[in-house]
Amino acid sequence: MSEIEIKNLSKKFKENVVLDGINLSINKGDVIAVIGPSGTGKSTLLRCIDRLETPESGTIDLAGLHVDLSARGNHKAIRELHQRTGMVFQSWNLFQRKTALQNVMEGLITVKKLPKAEAEKIAREQLANVGLADRANHYPKHLSGGQQQRVAIARALAMQPELILFDEPTSALDPELVGEVLDTIRKAAQEGYTMLIVSHEMNFVRNVANRVLFLENGHIVEDGTPAEIFGHPKSPRLREFISKIDRLQAPEYSI
Amino acid sequence: MGKLFDVKMVFTNIPQILVYLPVTMELAISAMAASLVLGLLLAIIKEKKMPVLTPIVNLFISIIRGTPVLVQLYVTYFGIPMVQKYIAMQNGTTYNASAVPPILYAFVALAVNQSAYNAETFRSALQSVDRGQIEAATSLGMSGWQILTRITLPESFAVALPNLGNAFISLIKGTSLAFVCAVVDMTAAGKIIGGRTYRYFEVYVSLALIYWVITIVVEQAMKLIEKKMAIPDEVPVVQGSENATEVQRAAAV
Ligand SMILES: Nc1ncnc2c1ncn2[C@@H]1O[C@H](COP(=O)(O)OP(=O)(O)OP(=O)(O)O)[C@@H](O)[C@H]1O
Ligand SMILES: [Mg+2]
Repeated sequence: MSEIEIKNLSKKFKENVVLDGINLSINKGDVIAVIGPSGTGKSTLLRCIDRLETPESGTIDLAGLHVDLSARGNHKAIRELHQRTGMVFQSWNLFQRKTALQNVMEGLITVKKLPKAEAEKIAREQLANVGLADRANHYPKHLSGGQQQRVAIARALAMQPELILFDEPTSALDPELVGEVLDTIRKAAQEGYTMLIVSHEMNFVRNVANRVLFLENGHIVEDGTPAEIFGHPKSPRLREFISKIDRLQAPEYSI
Repeated sequence: MGKLFDVKMVFTNIPQILVYLPVTMELAISAMAASLVLGLLLAIIKEKKMPVLTPIVNLFISIIRGTPVLVQLYVTYFGIPMVQKYIAMQNGTTYNASAVPPILYAFVALAVNQSAYNAETFRSALQSVDRGQIEAATSLGMSGWQILTRITLPESFAVALPNLGNAFISLIKGTSLAFVCAVVDMTAAGKIIGGRTYRYFEVYVSLALIYWVITIVVEQAMKLIEKKMAIPDEVPVVQGSENATEVQRAAAV
């Protein structure tokens, strides 16, 4: 049986149907990339799974936890879902009035209720893990975008979530900072974290993901290994999407 | 008749007036403290758009902001005893007006008045907190209360601080109206001195000087607090942390 089971997830904004009965099984240790054209609902999918957005229908099952994502008022189950999943945002969303160390400690103290000394120990380890041991006392405004995103990753990993959702973690970054963040994510993937990553970095997706979903018009149109998706795309829409992306990401040919 | 303007008297009045400085400051500080709590409550009700309560809060704020504080002081001064009399009549007990110290009326009126203004200040500060941080806190699994107290409030308090400082200064000046509730504050004491000496002009100049100095002191104190609340420009150096000092040195090179 799969570790995580998402069933019949549908979300619309007014008349605009963004997700149309998505089903998704995720195995432990899976690194799943979600690709697709702009505006197809990749962010919405992640935000519904983490219940930052309330869908019209949909359930998620984690070991021993069943959550009706469309229900309102089931605060206890939703909070448990939040505790057991993590999210890394496109725009980092660090707590501006807290240092890097305090950002990572926050969840450990308030949610996991760890004693301060223990939370600090874990937070320092996590910062060291993302290569920022020497930036513990820096506030977000003292950090580069890439460093802020690595703190955000450390903050998410410190909670040891069963599933981490990455929503275009590098697309708000200057090109020279993308590499350090992707390396950090790659490292977390190798450590065995289960991940769902929305990304336009196709080389990264090819090398790190073990599974790729192509999302379009509210459906998972294709679901396969990177070799299948990039080597043998079945649907014409995916073929078109890949050729467009390849053209964008191979600047040497466009000169 | 002596001199037209007795400069010396302006200064000899000051110690006599300052005897009542504690009354003025007690009233200003307690009313401010209460108005911060009440104002924040009102702001949260409006911000969360709580049913039933929100229109009541809107009406309350509209009335308070649409009437002079002097009128509000009179309404409180005459209104509270009427309510108490009514309650006493209902319970068949006797009502003793002198049991209520006058400063309480002024405190209630000023606190209620200020809370309406603070509510607006807090609300726009709450709105200025970016959604991203709240979503990050939510996705960590923090409760609504934890997010409010640990993320939203510190963030919005820093934003609201300059406005709250100005509010406190105008509240201090507003306490000079407390005489209508029979409170003897600095201004009332000044009036009494004036009545005794027939030198009203001098005593009001004394008062002006005192309020002005208080305002300057409070302004400076607010600046200090603002500076303390601001995120430091430099990376803070933590005592005993080798790494931090090294980083600072590296940054300085
Ligand atoms: N809060 C919202 N209110 C109304 N419509 C929304 C909202 N959020 C997203 N949408 C719409 O839902 C659709 C999917 O948006 P979403 O952000 O999930 O796309 P995406 O695949 O992440 O795109 P991108 O690659 O550009 O980030 C879009 O048409 C968008 O306009
Ligand atoms: Mg998106």
